[in-house]
Amino acid sequence: MAELLEQQVVSEHLDLPAPNNKEGGEISPTGASYGKTMMWYFLLSDVFTFSGFLIAYGALRISHKWWPDPNMVFNGMPFLHGVEVPLGFVTIMTTILILSSVFVVRAVQEGHRMNKKGVAIWMSLGILGGVAFLGCQAWEWSHLIHDGMTPFYNVYHAGPNGETLKLTLAEKANTPVSPGPVLFGGSFFGITGFHGFHVFIGVILNTICLIQTLTGVYERRGHYEMVEKFGLYWHFVDLVWVFVFLFFYLF
Amino acid sequence: MAHLDDASYNSMVKAVWQATALMAIVTVFEVAFALVHFWYLQDSLPKIYVHVVMIVATLIKAFFIIAEFMHLKYEKRPLIMSLGLPLIFLVWALIALSVEGNYWLKIIH
Repeated sequence: MAELLEQQVVSEHLDLPAPNNKEGGEISPTGASYGKTMMWYFLLSDVFTFSGFLIAYGALRISHKWWPDPNMVFNGMPFLHGVEVPLGFVTIMTTILILSSVFVVRAVQEGHRMNKKGVAIWMSLGILGGVAFLGCQAWEWSHLIHDGMTPFYNVYHAGPNGETLKLTLAEKANTPVSPGPVLFGGSFFGITGFHGFHVFIGVILNTICLIQTLTGVYERRGHYEMVEKFGLYWHFVDLVWVFVFLFFYLF
Repeated sequence: MAHLDDASYNSMVKAVWQATALMAIVTVFEVAFALVHFWYLQDSLPKIYVHVVMIVATLIKAFFIIAEFMHLKYEKRPLIMSLGLPLIFLVWALIALSVEGNYWLKIIH
């Protein structure tokens, strides 16, 4: 009975005819509204896009005998010039993105209670986390580019015992052919860039969500399901980062 | 959309913060393990063991994001299945391309 009632609410919201159990077909097999189901399937398709990138990167990386040690590459830290902090900065970035995801979960939960102020506060914190993550990524990219990394040139190369050495900019000027695997820069900028683009879109979507919350659109609608849909996208961005973190920083 | 009573709201909030704490612990463990290996164990512990530990830790984190944050654990079975089963193709792609990558390594060197 409760389910039928819920279905009726969904149908009214979607402007569909009221459910009729005798004929069947109107009750959603997924138990979720059309919008939420479609957001899930969009995310599934995006899983395949990212998996395609990451698996291709994996295959090409396996085919290289030597690969730069991420502990030697990602060891910069803002305001600590010349100090080597392996994986320090990316751990901060990961924490920021996971926390931002948690804030959006809290926004969704406050939405279930029709708490407009709660949704607005947690969603604002989530957006702040997203912007902070993008700022961190901008710093990391410019740091690598400053060191001479491009999608077509890798300054990190193998030493005599397989250790990771780095060309200075002066040495790079005298070495026209990239000494290290070119794919390292290409895949890093390509895949973290594609992920960063998703984060950027997520920040825009969450901002739209915040504006609609503040102007009372969801309050008048009678439910905050839109926060859930935008939230799903935001968690997906976090999910992808967990795998990017694994393949680029921990492998 | 069902509106929540206080008891289920409180338990949901608690579940989310527990998942957060667990993910923080797993991330700290991952980074600490990578650094301990980098500084002290490079000669004694082959990299493949590090990879296996990192993959397991990542899958734990991915499970918590999907199950708790994305709330999939509480959705209906048809939705869970229609999202989960297509991922079998990825297992195939991962195995096939790893084998192919190894082949490239052999013919190049």
